[in-house]
Amino acid sequence: MFAPLALQGRLAVAALVAVLLVLPLVWHDTYVLHLIILSMVFGAFAVAWNFTTGYAGLKTFGHHAFFGIGAYFSALISKNFEITPWLTTPAAGLVAAAAGLVVALPVLRIRSVPHVAMVTLGFAEIVRVLLTVFRETTRGEMGLWGIPAYDGFTIPGLGEVVFNAAEKVPYYYLAAFLFLGSVYAVVRMVKSPVGLALVAIRDSQDAAESLGINLTRYKLLAFATSAFLVGLLGAFYAHYILLLTPSSVLGLDLMILVIGMTLIGGVGTLFGPILGAFVMTIGVEAMRGIGEYRMLIYGALIVAVVMFMPRGLVALLDGLGPRFGFGRGVRMATADDAKTG
Amino acid sequence: MTLTLFLEQLVNGIILGSMYAIMGAGLALIYGTMRILNFAHGEFYMLGGFFVFFLFAQHHIHPVPAVIIAVAAVALIAALVQRLTINVLLKREGWAFSTIAATLGVSIFLQNLALALWGERFQSVPYFVEGLLQVGEFRLPWQRVLIFGVAVGVMATMAVVLRWTRFGWAVRATAQDAEAAAVVGVPAARIHTITFALGAALAAVAAALLAPVFAVNPWMGLPLIIKAFVVVVLGGLGSFPGAIVGGFLLGIVEAIGITLTSSEWRDVIAFGMMILFLWVRPWGLFGVKER
Repeated sequence: MFAPLALQGRLAVAALVAVLLVLPLVWHDTYVLHLIILSMVFGAFAVAWNFTTGYAGLKTFGHHAFFGIGAYFSALISKNFEITPWLTTPAAGLVAAAAGLVVALPVLRIRSVPHVAMVTLGFAEIVRVLLTVFRETTRGEMGLWGIPAYDGFTIPGLGEVVFNAAEKVPYYYLAAFLFLGSVYAVVRMVKSPVGLALVAIRDSQDAAESLGINLTRYKLLAFATSAFLVGLLGAFYAHYILLLTPSSVLGLDLMILVIGMTLIGGVGTLFGPILGAFVMTIGVEAMRGIGEYRMLIYGALIVAVVMFMPRGLVALLDGLGPRFGFGRGVRMATADDAKTG
Repeated sequence: MTLTLFLEQLVNGIILGSMYAIMGAGLALIYGTMRILNFAHGEFYMLGGFFVFFLFAQHHIHPVPAVIIAVAAVALIAALVQRLTINVLLKREGWAFSTIAATLGVSIFLQNLALALWGERFQSVPYFVEGLLQVGEFRLPWQRVLIFGVAVGVMATMAVVLRWTRFGWAVRATAQDAEAAAVVGVPAARIHTITFALGAALAAVAAALLAPVFAVNPWMGLPLIIKAFVVVVLGGLGSFPGAIVGGFLLGIVEAIGITLTSSEWRDVIAFGMMILFLWVRPWGLFGVKER
C-alpha cells in the first residue's frame, strides 16, 4: 500500500480523472450530472471516514455529525448574516474539525470498538436532537430553506459562472474539486510518515507507543482532518441541495449509507470507498424501479459483502494487474481486538 | 408542579426505566458472552412489536399467547441470524468490527422487510388491560402496572437462570473464557446462539409490552437501541445487573430531567449522561476497569 503505483496504475488514475473532468462537457443530462455530484460527495465522505476507520483504526459510527454540523453551520451563517458561502464553507470545515477534536477526546481514553461506536453515535444523536429542539433557528424537521447558493463569478474568456438549481456544471466542477482534493489530501497523509504512524497505531497501540509514536497527537490529527473534510462536504451539500432537515443530514441512515459504500467497495483501501460510493449511488438510483425493495437489497448486500467478500469490490480489480486495486485490502483486525473487542 | 404530578412523572420514569433495563440487559447478555455489539437489537424489538400487532391487534388472539408466540418467533429469527452471520464471523480476524457491520446490514434488511410487509404508517395496538389504578389523586393505567410487573418478573427469572441453573453456569463460563469452557465440555457455539436468541427475546418482550403505549412502525427500534446503548454504558458493557441498574437510573434521570425542562430534552439528557459517564467512568457502574 505504500509502494508507488505501477505505471498502469498511474495511467488508470489519470484516465479516470480525465473522464471525470471532461464528462460534463459532453454529457449535458442534468440528472446524470446530479448523480455524479452526489457520488463525488459521498465518495469523498467515504474516503474521509475510511481514513479514520480503515487507516487510523478509530472505528467511529458518528461521522454524519460533522456532515450535519458543516451543513447547518454554513447554511445558517450565510443565510442569517449574509456572508458569502465561499467563506462559510471553509469555516464550516474548521468548525467540524473543532467538533471532531471534542469527540476525539473521550475516544482517546477508550480502546474497545463497541464503546467508540457508541460514543460517536451518541454525539451525532445529540447534535441531531439539538438541531431539532432549537427550531426557532433551524426550523427543525420543517426544513431549513432559503439557503443562499454560491455567488457567481466571471472567468475571463469563458464567460459567467452561475450557481443555481438548473445549472449543474459549476456545481459539478466544485464537487470534483472537493472530491479530488479530499482524495489527494488523504492519499498524501496515508503515504506520509503520519500515515505510517496511524497504521502502526491501528495494528498495535502498544507497539506503536513503545516506538515513540505520540498516540494522542496522531489520533487527534486523524480525527480532525477527517472531520474537516466531511464538514466541507456538508457545507457544499447545503449550498447545493438548498434544503436541510436534521434527519436528512444527521440521520443514522446517512452514516449507514457511507459505511455500506465503504464496506462494499473495500474498507482500508484508497480506491475502495470511491468505487463503493459510485457503484452504490448510481446502483441505488438504477434500482429505483423496484421501489421499496432496494434498501432491503442494500442491507442484504452489506451482510453478504461482510460475510463472503470482506475485502470488498476492489478485490475484483486485483486480477487486472498488480496494484490496480490502489493499495491492497488491509486486514481490519488489530492487536487490540483480542484484548478488548 | 404539584407533588402528585411529580410523583406520576417519577413512576412513569421508573416504568419506562424497566423497559430500558430489559433492552439493555439483552444487549449486555449478548455482549457479555460474545463481545459483540448487536446493532440489530432495535430491529428485534421492532419485530416483536409487529408480531404482537399482527397477532393481537389484527387477529384478536388473547394477549398472553400472542406475546409468547411473538417473543418465541423473534428468538427463532435471532438464532437463525446468529447461526448464519455472527457464528461464522466470530471465527475470523477482525470480528469486533465485522460483526458490527454485519448486524448493521441485518438491521437495514429487517427495517425494510417490515416496511415492505406492513408499510410505514404508525399502527396502534390496543391496551392489554383497560382501566386506571387510582390511589388518592394519583392515577396510573393498569397497562403500565402490567409492564412493570412483567419486566420485574422477566428480570428476576433471568437472574435466577443465570445464577442457579446449569445453563446459566454454561453461559457465564463461556462469557469468562469460551475456549476454557469448551475444554470442560460446554458447547460454546450453541451457548452463543442461545444467548443471542435470549437477548433478542428480551428486546421482543419490551416491544410487546410497549406496543400499546407507543405505536409500532418499521423505525421504532432506533430510539430504543440508542437508549439501550446508554444503559449498557451506564451499567458497564456486558454486565447484566449493571444493565438493570442502568436502565432504572436512565428512566429516573430522564423523568426528573424532563420535569425540569421539557420532553424534547429527553434524548439530550440521556446522551449527555452517556458521554459524561464515558468521560469519568468508561467501564460503567458494574464493569471491570479495562483499557
